Amino acid sequence: MMISLTILNMQILSRLNEMPVIESVTLDHVVPEVFVGNGDGPLCERSDVWNTDLTLHRGRLYLISADSGTGKSSLCSYIYGNRTDYAGRIMFDSDDVRTFSPRKWSRLRQNAISILPQELRLFPELTAMENILIKNRLTGYCSVSRIVEMLDMLGVAGLADRRAAMMSVGQQQRVAVVRALCQPFDFLLLDEPVSHLDRRNNMIVSDLLADEASRRGAAIVATSVGNDIMIENTICLKL
Amino acid sequence: MSEAMKEADLVWRLLRKNISVAQIAGYAVANLVGLSIVMIAVQFYRDADSFISGRTADNSEYITVSKRVGAFGLSDTRFSGSEIDTLRSQPWVADVGQFTASRFNVNAAVDFNGNQMSTALFFESVPDRFLDIVPAFWTFEPGDTEIPIIMSKDYLSLYNFGFAAARGLPTVSEAMIGMVPLRVSVSGNGRQQYFRGRIVGFSSRLNTIAVPEQFMQWANATFGEGDDSSPSRLIVEVSDRGGKDVKDYLESHSLDVGAGMNTSQNRFILSVLVTVVAGIGAVICLLSLFILMLSLHLLMQKNGDKIHSLMLLGYEPRNVAAYYSRLVAMVNIAVFAASSVVMIAVVSLLRTPFAAIGAEASSPLPAIVIGLAVIAAVTTVNLITINRKVRSRFY
Repeated sequence: MMISLTILNMQILSRLNEMPVIESVTLDHVVPEVFVGNGDGPLCERSDVWNTDLTLHRGRLYLISADSGTGKSSLCSYIYGNRTDYAGRIMFDSDDVRTFSPRKWSRLRQNAISILPQELRLFPELTAMENILIKNRLTGYCSVSRIVEMLDMLGVAGLADRRAAMMSVGQQQRVAVVRALCQPFDFLLLDEPVSHLDRRNNMIVSDLLADEASRRGAAIVATSVGNDIMIENTICLKL
Repeated sequence: MSEAMKEADLVWRLLRKNISVAQIAGYAVANLVGLSIVMIAVQFYRDADSFISGRTADNSEYITVSKRVGAFGLSDTRFSGSEIDTLRSQPWVADVGQFTASRFNVNAAVDFNGNQMSTALFFESVPDRFLDIVPAFWTFEPGDTEIPIIMSKDYLSLYNFGFAAARGLPTVSEAMIGMVPLRVSVSGNGRQQYFRGRIVGFSSRLNTIAVPEQFMQWANATFGEGDDSSPSRLIVEVSDRGGKDVKDYLESHSLDVGAGMNTSQNRFILSVLVTVVAGIGAVICLLSLFILMLSLHLLMQKNGDKIHSLMLLGYEPRNVAAYYSRLVAMVNIAVFAASSVVMIAVVSLLRTPFAAIGAEASSPLPAIVIGLAVIAAVTTVNLITINRKVRSRFY
């Protein structure tokens, strides 16, 4: 009881101290450490993303296509503050993210950046709905009816009470999409969001994501190894 | 259940997985045993110490000194003013008081089952500030018919454990003695007067039969013969307890120590015993702490991935840690409460035999405060560990 009250208070507090909007994410010569040579010569081959000066702007849609093993999941983790094994700098507007505390990251993850990880990271012992609520209770962003509505759009409303462990990867993927939308954000990181979806479901998911992003004026940064998210007017970058 | 509570339970449902009830229970039992031993040792020390030495709260100690009696009993055993001043000027002396002896005859009679017993007695007095107990009505004014008396605790013990035991007589308590009326006859200088004597307290510091100074002054003036007021016994408040300086000084001035000196030896032995026992308790507490640390380590290892996932959702490390911290804090509070109950139960079992030898029950508060300090320290270590382990799962 006490804990739930504290967490409620925390939510109210975090909403009162609205976080400033992140207008841009800049990758200043970022290279995964595993790609870094022994110090001589160029750090690694330059691409559209690695070892260059790239700024991603709020409100735009980026599609980062890559071969396996070129570090697209790493890119998402770097921007999400989940890993720091890179050379170079990542800036949120003018702030170097290496200086952020776990507390600051937590608040950013509730209010400013959202991620759909490739491995989805649903809790297998919780139902689809519980997996979404465990995020939504932090942000209080969506009503239960809105969550059901989104599940319904993606054709998984009937699975709301099924444990994640009992769902197919494609079903899990759609649940994770809804979970990623249960918060305000300026940047939505999607790591292979439709890799397990057929063309029809790809379209439905893509529409929902594009719709939600534009409602928030947010950027989408989506990676793909082949099955691209079907959003129009994307800026394509090659890893 | 409200929606918010159900959702709060979601996190706990994830985090409580892999918590080993057996390990937590093992920790709780071990810590309970350790903490109880520490608290009982502290309480035992205080109870026993109040009995061994009727010492004051500030840890000072009182010794009674007199001159060594020569082989033929010819040397003067009284202290002169300059001798007292020399003693007073020693760095380890906090205060010196004089025993004023009665210079008149005292005879006390008591009716005991219809038989009258009477005995010749003596009185002494010391300044009130040297008393370990100052009973109510510890005054006397000329014209009063009652004399309050403080007797040495040793006399009562001597009767109860020596005389009464040998003769098969009933033992008596302090309270019973206080109700026995004494008829005290004071005479000298050609006069005699009867008083009611009432034993109002027992002193473990004074090895004498003490009366208020006001009575002694008046009675010595009224019934006293001769006016030699030099004392033959002094009571000395020693600031630094039982040190070598004290022994050396007493030796070089041929002074004997009455009550007091072996107090510090007894107290030393007592404190060694208690320290050893409390130390064993503390070691058990420490070992139990390791059990919990290992258990937490294992738990964080098993649940690490879940904790990491929660943080990816935007949970703060401290909010995740709070769930485990609350569990550990509740276990520790329960351990502390149970230890306090165990301590109080054990001590109250000891109370009866302790009361029989005249030890006073002391307040359990200091033992509880020490127990609280131990459990607070243990809890702090636990919480720091939990927070660090959870935080280490952030990246």
